[in-house]
Amino acid sequence: MNVFRAILWKDLVTEWRQRDRVVAMGVFSLLVVVVLYLAAPPGIGRDAQQHVPGLLWVAFTFASILGLNRAFALELENDALAALAMASADRGFIFLGKATASFVLLAAVQAFTSLAFGMAFGIDFWPVLGPFAAVCGLGALGLCSVGTLFSAMAVRTTYREVMLPLLMLPLMVPVLLGAVRATEGLLADGVLPWPPIQLLLVTDAVFGIIAYLGFEAVLDE
Amino acid sequence: MNPSTAPGARLTAGVFYGLVVAWAIAAWNAPIDAVQGVIQKILYIHPPLAFGAYLGFGCTAVFGALYLWKGDDRWDRWALSSAEVGILLCTLMLITGPIWAKGTWGRWWSWDMRLTITLLQYLVYLAYLLLRGFTEGSERGARFAAVYGIAGMALIPLNYFAISLAGGRSIHPQNLGNGSLGAGMGLPFLLGVLMVLAGFAYLVVRRFEVARLRDAEALRAVEASRGEGAWAS
Repeated sequence: MNVFRAILWKDLVTEWRQRDRVVAMGVFSLLVVVVLYLAAPPGIGRDAQQHVPGLLWVAFTFASILGLNRAFALELENDALAALAMASADRGFIFLGKATASFVLLAAVQAFTSLAFGMAFGIDFWPVLGPFAAVCGLGALGLCSVGTLFSAMAVRTTYREVMLPLLMLPLMVPVLLGAVRATEGLLADGVLPWPPIQLLLVTDAVFGIIAYLGFEAVLDE
Repeated sequence: MNPSTAPGARLTAGVFYGLVVAWAIAAWNAPIDAVQGVIQKILYIHPPLAFGAYLGFGCTAVFGALYLWKGDDRWDRWALSSAEVGILLCTLMLITGPIWAKGTWGRWWSWDMRLTITLLQYLVYLAYLLLRGFTEGSERGARFAAVYGIAGMALIPLNYFAISLAGGRSIHPQNLGNGSLGAGMGLPFLLGVLMVLAGFAYLVVRRFEVARLRDAEALRAVEASRGEGAWAS
């Protein structure tokens, strides 16, 4: 448990002092908003509720890949990754620490991006803020659990930055579909539809277990 | 040992080639479908390829798990061989499917549940092979690939749930057994399944042999270079 806290604290403090990952993710997702808005058909503002959930989660996913790529690249300096692997600590807690740090950063970026989306497409998230935050959290959990696992693998491959999206995107379909449908239902009716939430919960649980157990095998000197 | 003389390779090769001939004759003589015409004969190869592809993906996950558990290189070679042969069969399935679809549904592709899941699974295992290719050190690559292969397998039930939620229309036939095959179609279909399974076994055995020889050769090269060093004597 101490290991978990130490890793989480270290990652967040490093991020607070440098503020490079979260800024990069934020700027990137803002760029995605602008690009998507300009690429979308002119009348998109009118039926924004139909299109925004998908666009929003595309922005979240790409931003998360950007952030996760840095999560372990950070540890390559001074061979900190090897030191982590050799530490006598339970690797599960190392995983939880890294994943939680990525989750916190992604959550901050999600809040910022949603604000930008709301303004760009004229959507008011305020009345559904609580459930919307819950959907974002569930989606981010799925992205960050296997994302952290694959990030630890990708950083040890030849084409680090290229490998992570190749590994991650095909597995993200259940997370994306659940999150997009839930956001859609929420924006349309103001209440959370249960089936997509159920899908998100199941997917998060499955991915969480796989990532927690699999992490044991991917961390090495 | 020459790969072709590997135990089991000759036997599976013989069985496979025999089945190819039997299947070709049976498929040729099978009745022509009254509604779909001759294109319906893709039935005798397309679903069997699908069984083979999923068998390959399943074997990849199971052998990967065994490798992580036992740490024996042989399991990793079986996993790699099944993944490659699975990808091959899946490619062939993804070629025969659209041809049949164009002939009967009128378009090459539909975002049907089965098609979508198979395509995603195909992409997962392509990423699996890329991961192996881009990871330095065979032991590390084997570990990473095993973890990824298992994660890829867990995706199938989740995707079924996810895509039904997305309202994926289903136009792909659900099952072919249960007497839905017309008279005279059962035998060539059964032969097709057996042929693909035998072909799968044959290719996996051969591919395993290649991987084993490669590893042995790499080990020999390392030992030879060590022998040249002064400290070895």
